[in-house]
Amino acid sequence: MIVANELRKQFSVRGKTLVAVNGVSFAVGNSEVYGLLGPNGAGKTTTLRMIMGLTEPDSGWVEIGGTRTDTDATGIRHQLGLISTNDGVYPWLSVREMLMYFADLYAVEPQIAKHRLEELAEWLAIGSFLDQRCSTLSTGQKQRVTLARGLMHDPPVMLLDEPTRGLDVVGSQTVFQFIELLKARGKSVLLSTHRLDEAERVCDRFGLLHHGTMRYEGTLGDLRDQTGKAHLVDMFIELIREDRAGPATLGESD
Amino acid sequence: MQPSSIASYLANGRLGRLCLKELRESLRDRRTLITLILMPILVYPLLSMAMQRLIVSTASGLNADKTEYIIGVTDEQAGSLVASALGETALAIRNGVRHSIEIRRPELASSAGKTKEPAKDPQTAGFNIVVADGISLQQALEQGQVDVAVLQVRSESISLGRNGTYPTYELELSFRDADLRSEAAMLEFRKAMELVNDSQSMQFRGSLPAAVRLISTATGKRVDAMTSLAGILPLILILMTITGAVYPAIDLTAGERERGTMEAMIATPAPRFLLLLSKYVAVVTVAVLTALANLFACWITLSIGGLGRALLGERGLSLLAMLQILPLLVIFAAFFSAILLAMCSFARSFKEAQAYLIPVMLVSLAPALLTLMPNIEFSTLLGIVPLVNILLLSRDIMTGSPQALPAFAAVFSTLLYAAAALVVASRLFGAESATAGSQETWSDLFRRPKRMQELPDLGDLAVYLALMFPVFFILTNLFGQMDLSIANKLWINAGILLVLFLITPALVAQYRRLNLRSTFLLGNWMGDAPWLIPSAVGGLGVLCGVGLLASGLWVIAFEVLKVLSDLGFGAISIARSEALEEAKTQFAAIPFWTIFLTSALVPALAEEFFFRGYVLSAFRNRTSPLRAVLYSALVFGFFHVINGSVLSLERFFPTALLGLALGFVAIRTRSLWPGVLLHATHNGLLFWLTRFSEKELSEWFGSTNQHFPPIWILASLAAVACGIGLVYFLTRQRFHENAT
Repeated sequence: MIVANELRKQFSVRGKTLVAVNGVSFAVGNSEVYGLLGPNGAGKTTTLRMIMGLTEPDSGWVEIGGTRTDTDATGIRHQLGLISTNDGVYPWLSVREMLMYFADLYAVEPQIAKHRLEELAEWLAIGSFLDQRCSTLSTGQKQRVTLARGLMHDPPVMLLDEPTRGLDVVGSQTVFQFIELLKARGKSVLLSTHRLDEAERVCDRFGLLHHGTMRYEGTLGDLRDQTGKAHLVDMFIELIREDRAGPATLGESD
Repeated sequence: MQPSSIASYLANGRLGRLCLKELRESLRDRRTLITLILMPILVYPLLSMAMQRLIVSTASGLNADKTEYIIGVTDEQAGSLVASALGETALAIRNGVRHSIEIRRPELASSAGKTKEPAKDPQTAGFNIVVADGISLQQALEQGQVDVAVLQVRSESISLGRNGTYPTYELELSFRDADLRSEAAMLEFRKAMELVNDSQSMQFRGSLPAAVRLISTATGKRVDAMTSLAGILPLILILMTITGAVYPAIDLTAGERERGTMEAMIATPAPRFLLLLSKYVAVVTVAVLTALANLFACWITLSIGGLGRALLGERGLSLLAMLQILPLLVIFAAFFSAILLAMCSFARSFKEAQAYLIPVMLVSLAPALLTLMPNIEFSTLLGIVPLVNILLLSRDIMTGSPQALPAFAAVFSTLLYAAAALVVASRLFGAESATAGSQETWSDLFRRPKRMQELPDLGDLAVYLALMFPVFFILTNLFGQMDLSIANKLWINAGILLVLFLITPALVAQYRRLNLRSTFLLGNWMGDAPWLIPSAVGGLGVLCGVGLLASGLWVIAFEVLKVLSDLGFGAISIARSEALEEAKTQFAAIPFWTIFLTSALVPALAEEFFFRGYVLSAFRNRTSPLRAVLYSALVFGFFHVINGSVLSLERFFPTALLGLALGFVAIRTRSLWPGVLLHATHNGLLFWLTRFSEKELSEWFGSTNQHFPPIWILASLAAVACGIGLVYFLTRQRFHENAT
């Protein structure tokens, strides 16, 4: 499971300081799907990068399975799987070669990796083209290979960064099934998306990010109570309207 | 990145599998294969044709309507022998070129003595055989009056019984090396000879020795030897090697980003340095394969076309030279691949990477073209100029005259540059700037860390060595060649050591927020108390051990040097030993305290500070103490090979040996000071030895071969063993406490 505590990160862009993430805290339990929501630029990706230890937070920390990013930013990645929008495949490698490569990158023992590969091949129905070069795969097949890639080291926590962007209905459906599967296996799932309709379907709890701050957090019921709106979309529109009416520099300062 | 996590990637051949993935990716790509296989097959034959054209056209361009070459002989008898060697045995027609022959005296050139009309047809190459009158043949050749000089002709007849006799000829020729016309004349002459031999061997079915044999020597200085053209070959080989590396370098870095696999890869716990290392191995492998393919294609083309001999003289391009150039190409590939990876790691896309690389290629081409200039000599200082050094070294290997010091500088500095470039590449690789679009720049590479670091980063060390070595090399050379008194040189040398090995590393360490105490081992060496012995006593014991080491090591170092020179390894040439003798007498005039200060105390302090402080600590940061000692001793040894403006490879062994002992003492005592003491005593004793004359020494040693008597050597070995034992024993507690 994931605990994020008071994460804060600012970038300096052309002399101006942009606070990308401003004191974000949340926790995701086992077998829970947590939706990290927000419009583009809300700080979702930066938050994910801080969880992965790819970006060092200015302050705050993340704890995953007892390991904290500020003490062992690299070690924490053993416990994390990552699947994101732009994930590609290696055109010149076969599916098997690519998956075994990632097993090696996660320092999984070859014997265990072989076993897991077979298991995943069955789950995700990729067994028929395991020895085909990735360049010959269809979009849907590539997508399933990517999902398998995220599970080669059997991480307890899975981060999904906009996993359905650019996918058709069938593709999105595969992702939803995948999320269900993860949940059934007791994994903590952190789903970052701006597709609110999808989030409503699969997430157990939500965190609404806007300008780098966590505006609302809780189950759909909690959010309805807090905002008085029935759907996530309405809550968002409210947020953005607030933005236009009030001071526009919520997350920005010079 | 922790050492333990790196270890798990180095275990079970995992790193090998990571490299294999990168290699697969590169080698399955058609674009890599094209540069690897197709290019060499096309480039060299085309090049060979172009160059042959160039030689012929330049040569005939000098004399548009008269492509007859003047062959100088010593007298008429020799002239008729040459003529019969060339003309009587076969009608020389080959490739539509007719070799007409005439004999004439220079003053009679227009009228008498002609046997045939000189050819007017530009297709026809003719030979005028002239007898040098009034001046020597050599002068006539040098002044350009003749194109090829036949210095000597020997003729012998082999009896064939009933079939008569079979004449054979041996011609000793000389030609002007730098001169295209003379070269071309030589080429044509050789062709004519080959024709004769061919027709003879056809007639006699190859059962007889060659009818005509040529021994040719080039006049003039070596450097003129068409080196401008010979320089093209290494340049082309190196350019092709670069071409081979470019595509994989882009594909494995920027390509990875473009395909969307980078993010997933750097999100894994695999250390980035290892990720980059596996890519580096793949790029270097492809580059080396390309180099091999090119070298092979080049050799085949040159050997078959005869262009090799035209470009490189009599021997042509020997297989040995090829085998010597190959490691150079490997080293160069190692260097340039690292540069390419550093550039490409910064790029976000294929296009961007290409945009970065084009200026790099152009910038590196400019000095490369410089090496094509004739008469450019591979001087010592050019040895540290990247790219240029390898080019000039390969050229010199091809023409058969490489020199030791620049060669060492070229190889060593290129390897250091490669390491530094690799460090930069690994810091740039997968950097946030390239993935998240934030505003990080190159300056962040060596940004000051926020927190105090206990030990220096190994990457920083590589970069520091790569920057410091050229400076060290230039300075020691510059002052080594200056006309200064020995005393002044000693002081300057001490100054260089202080600046490069003590002051600058200290400043670097300060900037990088290193813990100076742990980096440079500035603590005391006391405080060890086995069996309740007071720590001061323990410290004194360590000092005794160091004293024993010092008393034994210098004898062993001296003996190792002696044995090496007896084996002919770095044997001291007469010129050098004369210089040494002279240095000795000058040395004797210098007060010993000056020598002790400049050659023992200051080097001990500065070198211990750097090699046992910075270097050893940087290695300690990443590897076991044992290996750290070994690696730092190797670095220590390599730096001592450069001895002023002379390369003394033999110094590597005793110095590395001393480095091992010093490293051991430093790592056991966790203190620099015992090592400084040991080092200073060691140097002091060796220099003290130089104060005695040969005669005194031989009396002293009891032998004339200047070896120490066996009893001395045995005693020294015993002293060293006891010293090591004592230090080891008295530092057990301290060593283990610090280790945990």
